[in-house]
Amino acid sequence: MSTHTHQFGDLATQLLMDSRRSTATETLLKYNDVLVRAVVREQRHLEALLQAALPPPDADQDTPDAILPTVLLYQTAINRNKRCLLAYHAHRIERLKDLYWQVGGALPLLLSMPAATSSNSASDGANDVRAKLSPHEVDFLRSYNASLLAFRSSLSPTSYGADGNGGEHTLTEDVDLLAPITRPPKDLHVLVRVARDCGVVHTEQGAIDFRRGHRFLVRRADVEHLIVQGFLEEV
Amino acid sequence: MPDDFGGPNILPQEVAEETAFQQLIRHWMNERHSPDILPGQELLLGRILDHVRKQSDDVQLLRADPDSSEDEHFRIMLVQTEVERVKFVVRSYVRTRLHKVEKYARWIAKTPEVHERLSKAELDHAKRYARLLEYHFTQSVLQSLPPDQQSLEEETAFMPPMTPEPDKLRPVFVHALRDCPHVQLPDGSTITMEKGRISLTPYYVIEHLLARGEVELV
Repeated sequence: MSTHTHQFGDLATQLLMDSRRSTATETLLKYNDVLVRAVVREQRHLEALLQAALPPPDADQDTPDAILPTVLLYQTAINRNKRCLLAYHAHRIERLKDLYWQVGGALPLLLSMPAATSSNSASDGANDVRAKLSPHEVDFLRSYNASLLAFRSSLSPTSYGADGNGGEHTLTEDVDLLAPITRPPKDLHVLVRVARDCGVVHTEQGAIDFRRGHRFLVRRADVEHLIVQGFLEEV
Repeated sequence: MPDDFGGPNILPQEVAEETAFQQLIRHWMNERHSPDILPGQELLLGRILDHVRKQSDDVQLLRADPDSSEDEHFRIMLVQTEVERVKFVVRSYVRTRLHKVEKYARWIAKTPEVHERLSKAELDHAKRYARLLEYHFTQSVLQSLPPDQQSLEEETAFMPPMTPEPDKLRPVFVHALRDCPHVQLPDGSTITMEKGRISLTPYYVIEHLLARGEVELV
């Protein structure tokens, strides 16, 4: 141990610090590829040490007591590192899912969104959410999106469409699952300011061309998704 | 919403007399407070959504009718607002279940007893999500580890299990809707949940009462 400048598990602790910082500041940090690889390397190193410490399999006698502490030490370090690695990835997945729901499930929008949502610094393209993800995480989000889509379209149309309208009504047609659930609606209408052009949208009052800077009084249900995605702002 | 069910009901009401929406509110509250996944209320949801659709159709008709008076327009607005609020509860209910389904996806996938509490859509999503998560872990971490360390299932002393399960020890506030049989507390003593009583107990203590609809979580 004296030859190492760090203890086993130090690197994994750094990974967990990343997760903690991400939670504390509610930001998505960049995927720490370097550190993950370093911990994986430490795992291989530990495995080699462990195998070297174990008596050869053809040795028939019982494991001498003297090597038990050594084996236990390596095994504990291995278990801990592995849990830390998995915890780091699981934590990121939870964060990504939060982000996904925050923008109402608009995946392409999420990927191209400037990562720091609170500060409105100019996004320079290289600083979007996608740049902070590992390729596997992008894959995960795509598959997650697809799974949710399947979930929404398969919400048993038989039981919900029992009124003889051809069974075409599904739950999602009536209730937008991706709309926010933080507070119940108090008003039917909402006054919005257009933050970004979003073209012509069909509403209860007919088609409205939402141009930047204009204000409209519209039905909340018609524009909820645009508010969530940041095209409109409530006044 | 919360004002619809209030605290302890002043008038003794049988559970059967609840309106569909009040039932949904109760199931929604239970689901939100319970650590475990409760049986899904698909039929109830279907009834409510049918009702919502009828109301919306009526509203459309009345709005289009030039003879509707000012008073009626005001009432229409109230109905529309109420419809939006019902939809909110439906959405929140489905999302609450979805959250649990994802959180415990791997446990659900290997525990057949839970399956009957889920709708087909939820079960399919749970299985897909469990696979997705395992695939992600394998791709990101496990496949680069030495072969002996690649398992996603391991029982190690002094470590929590690797598959998250609902924590039935979690304390919940429980409100008795009618007189219930005695329940046994973890310290060995028993309490009687007479009607209207509110207690704080571990979830597993009142699990069976909740399943029979004799109590609600608040």
